[in-house]
Amino acid sequence: MIDAVSSLSPSVGAPAAVGGVGTAAVRPGAASATVDAGADFGAMVSQLASHAAGVVRNAENISVAGIQGSATVQQVVEAVMSAEQTLQGAVAIRDKVVAAYLELSRMQI
Amino acid sequence: MYDPLQATMRVGASGLEAQSRRLRVIAENMANAHSTGRTPGSDPYARRVITFESQLDETADANLVRVASVEQPRASFRVEHMPGHPAADANGFVRMPNVDLVVEAADMREANRSYEANLQAIRQAREMITMTLDLLRTT
Amino acid sequence: MQLFSIVSRHNQWLAVRQATIAGNIANANTPGFRAQDVQPFEMAVAQARLAMAATQAGHLSSGPADAPATELRREAAWETSMSGNNVSLEQELLKAGEVNRAYRLNTSIAKVFHRLIMTSSRI
Repeated sequence: MIDAVSSLSPSVGAPAAVGGVGTAAVRPGAASATVDAGADFGAMVSQLASHAAGVVRNAENISVAGIQGSATVQQVVEAVMSAEQTLQGAVAIRDKVVAAYLELSRMQI
Repeated sequence: MYDPLQATMRVGASGLEAQSRRLRVIAENMANAHSTGRTPGSDPYARRVITFESQLDETADANLVRVASVEQPRASFRVEHMPGHPAADANGFVRMPNVDLVVEAADMREANRSYEANLQAIRQAREMITMTLDLLRTT
Repeated sequence: MQLFSIVSRHNQWLAVRQATIAGNIANANTPGFRAQDVQPFEMAVAQARLAMAATQAGHLSSGPADAPATELRREAAWETSMSGNNVSLEQELLKAGEVNRAYRLNTSIAKVFHRLIMTSSRI
């Protein structure tokens, strides 16, 4: 997920790109490269959110397939780990965004 | 998509079963090493030999093994001179089983070795699955 | 991060190799059976790379296309018995030990880096 961030806004001091994990990770974030750097912050955040949701959904599907026996243990583990990492990053950013918004709303006009 | 590690367990299990049956045949041979016939001039216990064949599991692309046959290869029985024996023929000779205990004992050791090796393969595959699942553990 | 991708592929290759070794061990007494092994990991990766390049450039595929296509090849084993079987249990068990060690290393590395990422994004 963090590579989606850095692809959107190179000015953001993202750490060394943490790529998606494993072979089963879905990467809708690759499409985010089409958004101009520095464009609407809201658009970037919502894309990150949908990317995170996509990764989690993918992990869910693969887990179900694993239970049914059509996916290997390795695929399931990789998908879940990828979802964990992506979701953790997304939650951290969401918290910061919400905190920033609250601060803004407290500002005296 | 097939799981190679699950396939490994199945392959190992087929190996265990094959070697178990092999051991049973050997045990029968050893137990009957002196089993003669009951009537005069009749045939004694004939040594039995097991043969394996490989079986390809298409979905997993794995080589299982199975028992092809248990046969009694043609052999000549050796004779011993025991005139009073129920199975003695007109000349007092009794036909004895063609079981060589030394050969059977060596075969048994081989079968045991193969059994252990199959067990080891299963154990390692199980370890690999466990290690993979352990990645999800946080503690 | 490339690391997880490499670890994943190597482990898949190792798993297939373990299945092949198990097949050799199970058929150690099958007449005429020739021991098999997988192609070296570098070759499998190179083949996968060719396959990926054949698809649309820039399209990061995921799934079976990423898995190294490990083909089995006949192996020159230590000796051949009279029945044509050339499986050597010692050789197979040695290989199995190697596979296990490599797999353990891979999963340990993956676990550590996963933990690093999780703690680093806990802002």
